Amino acid sequence: MAVGSNLLIDVSREGERVVLRLDGDLDLASVPLLESEVELATLDDTASIVLDLRGLEFLDSTGLRAILLLDKRSTERGQAFALVRGSEQVQRLMSMTRVDEHLKIIATPEEILL
Amino acid sequence: MEHSTGSGGGAGSGGSEERRRAIDLLVEAGAVLASSLDLTTTMGQVAKLTVPALADLCVIDLRDEDGSIREVAVVAADAGTARELEDLRARFQLDPEGAHPVARVIRSGEPALLPSMTSALLSSFAQGSEHARFMIEHNYHSAVVAPLLARGRTLGALSVLRLGDGEPYASEDLELVCELARRAALAIDNARLYSEVRQVEQRLEAVLVNLAEAITVVDEHGQTVFANQAAAELLGADTPSELMSAAAGTIMPRFLVLDEQGTELDLESMPGRRLFAGEHPEPLLVRNIVRATGEERWLIVRSSPITDPETERILYVVNVFENITEVKRAQLAESFMAEASRVLASSMDYSETLLRVARLAVPQIADWCAVDVVNDRGEIELVAAHHIDPDKLAAAERIDRRHRPTLDDAIGVAEVIRSGHAQMFTDIQPDALAAYARDDEHLELLSEIGARAVIIVPMAGAAKTIGAITLVSSDSIRSFTEADLALAVRLGRRAGTAVENARLYTERTRIAHVLQRALLPESLPEVPGVEVQSLYSAAGELNEVGGDFYDVFDYDDARAMLVIGDVCGKGPRAAGVTALARHTLRAAAIGGQSPTDMLGTLHQALLRQPPGADLCTVCLIMLAREAQGARLTVALAGHPPPLLIRADGEVERVGRSGTVLGVIDPVSIDEHEITLGAGETLLMYTDGVIEAGRPDNLLGEDGLLELCAAAPGLSLESFLEHIERAALTRARGALRDDIALLGLRIAGR
Repeated sequence: MAVGSNLLIDVSREGERVVLRLDGDLDLASVPLLESEVELATLDDTASIVLDLRGLEFLDSTGLRAILLLDKRSTERGQAFALVRGSEQVQRLMSMTRVDEHLKIIATPEEILL
Repeated sequence: MEHSTGSGGGAGSGGSEERRRAIDLLVEAGAVLASSLDLTTTMGQVAKLTVPALADLCVIDLRDEDGSIREVAVVAADAGTARELEDLRARFQLDPEGAHPVARVIRSGEPALLPSMTSALLSSFAQGSEHARFMIEHNYHSAVVAPLLARGRTLGALSVLRLGDGEPYASEDLELVCELARRAALAIDNARLYSEVRQVEQRLEAVLVNLAEAITVVDEHGQTVFANQAAAELLGADTPSELMSAAAGTIMPRFLVLDEQGTELDLESMPGRRLFAGEHPEPLLVRNIVRATGEERWLIVRSSPITDPETERILYVVNVFENITEVKRAQLAESFMAEASRVLASSMDYSETLLRVARLAVPQIADWCAVDVVNDRGEIELVAAHHIDPDKLAAAERIDRRHRPTLDDAIGVAEVIRSGHAQMFTDIQPDALAAYARDDEHLELLSEIGARAVIIVPMAGAAKTIGAITLVSSDSIRSFTEADLALAVRLGRRAGTAVENARLYTERTRIAHVLQRALLPESLPEVPGVEVQSLYSAAGELNEVGGDFYDVFDYDDARAMLVIGDVCGKGPRAAGVTALARHTLRAAAIGGQSPTDMLGTLHQALLRQPPGADLCTVCLIMLAREAQGARLTVALAGHPPPLLIRADGEVERVGRSGTVLGVIDPVSIDEHEITLGAGETLLMYTDGVIEAGRPDNLLGEDGLLELCAAAPGLSLESFLEHIERAALTRARGALRDDIALLGLRIAGR
């Protein structure tokens, strides 16, 4: 469990899949924590990364940018990247910026394999 | 006194003559015993009475506390004999448990008559052979040993001896000697008591005199009956006797006595007086100021009673004055500094905090406090002043306005600022004021304030002195001390740091404001027939430039562009991106691009920025003026859609958002056209508005839509302010994110 500002991150690994569950706010203050947790959790043989946003209450543009960068980096490394959809505000922001058309959004972490 | 010798034995001979002599002896004894309380003198005199009137040799022995027997008087017809016996007795103390008649009498309390002592008898109770030889050689013949009895105790024995062939003692002699002994015993007892008391007194005095604490003993009339040296010094006398000879009630008026809160105390509140009044007072902490010198001491006064053991009436009180001036001063200084530090740290508005510090200093440490600061024009500016008396404060401010010190002044505030060294002047005389005053009016004003002591300390910033704090003690008995100066110096340092920090902060804020203004359009160009208003509200303390931006510029002769956008983040980098966004769009407009293409160009520009991923949301509107209103083309990239507010208050969102710019490639942008009629309003906003009050008091999109219903009834400017106020209220005055609003309204109706 990692804690930063208003964000808690819970990391679990199932084989080649890394799931990071976020609780709280992903904003200017807590983005560095997410970035370092992803770095720590990702190993050479990691095939997919899931950000579970079901517990995420608030996302601002800095958080959005961080997620987009993670997506970009995963693509460069040949890893799958997906989000489990978050709260209403989170989804609205993603929708308004049409990020939801670009990222893979799934209902549960298991779906990433599909 | 005639010696009756060889007149034959027996009680009968010369009976009345004897009786008369006996009475004479007793009377004389009475006189002797009453004449002195000194034990040794008295005993010697009693013994002398009996020799040679009644005996050839008289010895008085006393029993000491430890039971030993000590000879206190020896008188003999022959002085040499007396000395010899004294010497013997000194060397051979009588054994209290022994057979010697004195020892036996002392033990039993009963007198002994030894009319005729044989050598054998003498030897039997002698204390050694030398003693025996002495007694035999001196012809110890007849003796009476009477106990000295007083208050039921045997104090010793009175022995009378006849040597040689003189008339042996008879029972009348025994009676007489016993009577004499009884009176002597009383006298001894009194003398002993007196001596004990004297010893106790002396011991006590030795202790009290030398105690560091000041002690006085006062009777119920207020007369000081005892004082030690420390008390004399504390109460302003040269010696204790001076205090004791002062009339009651004349000592206290020398001082101004205050309690901890500064209320004056009278004599009746002193614990000593309250004891006499039958109360049980607690120790009292007082602030004691010597009227003549202004010297201030903090004392704890503790009083306890001396009561008559029989009547339980209070005869005297003992006052102990503990001088805690150092401790109390340190405590007051610390609490003052803690309070001043708190005040100085509480706000970045330094003139306000300095005024509060001045108010704190008065009257705690001074009657008047003024704070001067060197401004950026090099002038000494009065930033704060406070006086205990509001009228005198007005006078002080008047002086200031007419007689501002300058950095060229030789003395005073200017000197302290130049040198960085504190100054203190105490006991200021009128002529000193006159020398300082610039003219008669200045002098009159200075005298009116009545400065008696002044402290000026520098306010030091990191590199140089930035101002000075002046403390004045006026019209009061209390003057400044070294301790006050030390406290003032600390205050000056603390205030100097605080002011400098506040100034730096204010400067940074000013820079940020300037920068912000540079990044936003100074004024919006006029679009004929269209009213345009903007509102920008920065979040928090505004030490950092924000990421919201807006712009209005001509597209061509007939059309104008309105932009509002949000760059992710804050600070210099985000500021740079907002500048890039505005200028790229303006450049794209010059190229004649459509709104969609303009946004595409901006997107490309952002993609090329190192290191990449500068998100930017934009709402871009092209406005073409028409006969009855305006035709708007709305292009959105990741930005909340603008709101169209009809004349009747109906609100609708315009357009559908496109992709956020700067990261995801390619982007998808839609254009949407609408017409705006007379009296209709279009509102563009950034998400800081709808996020205001997160998490528990969120304005949200719904809240904003509600606010828009009020638009038609308000001027455009008031409408934007209405929204800003609502957002600030939701956020309880503390916005997390900036707010930018751009509104346009078609004139008419």
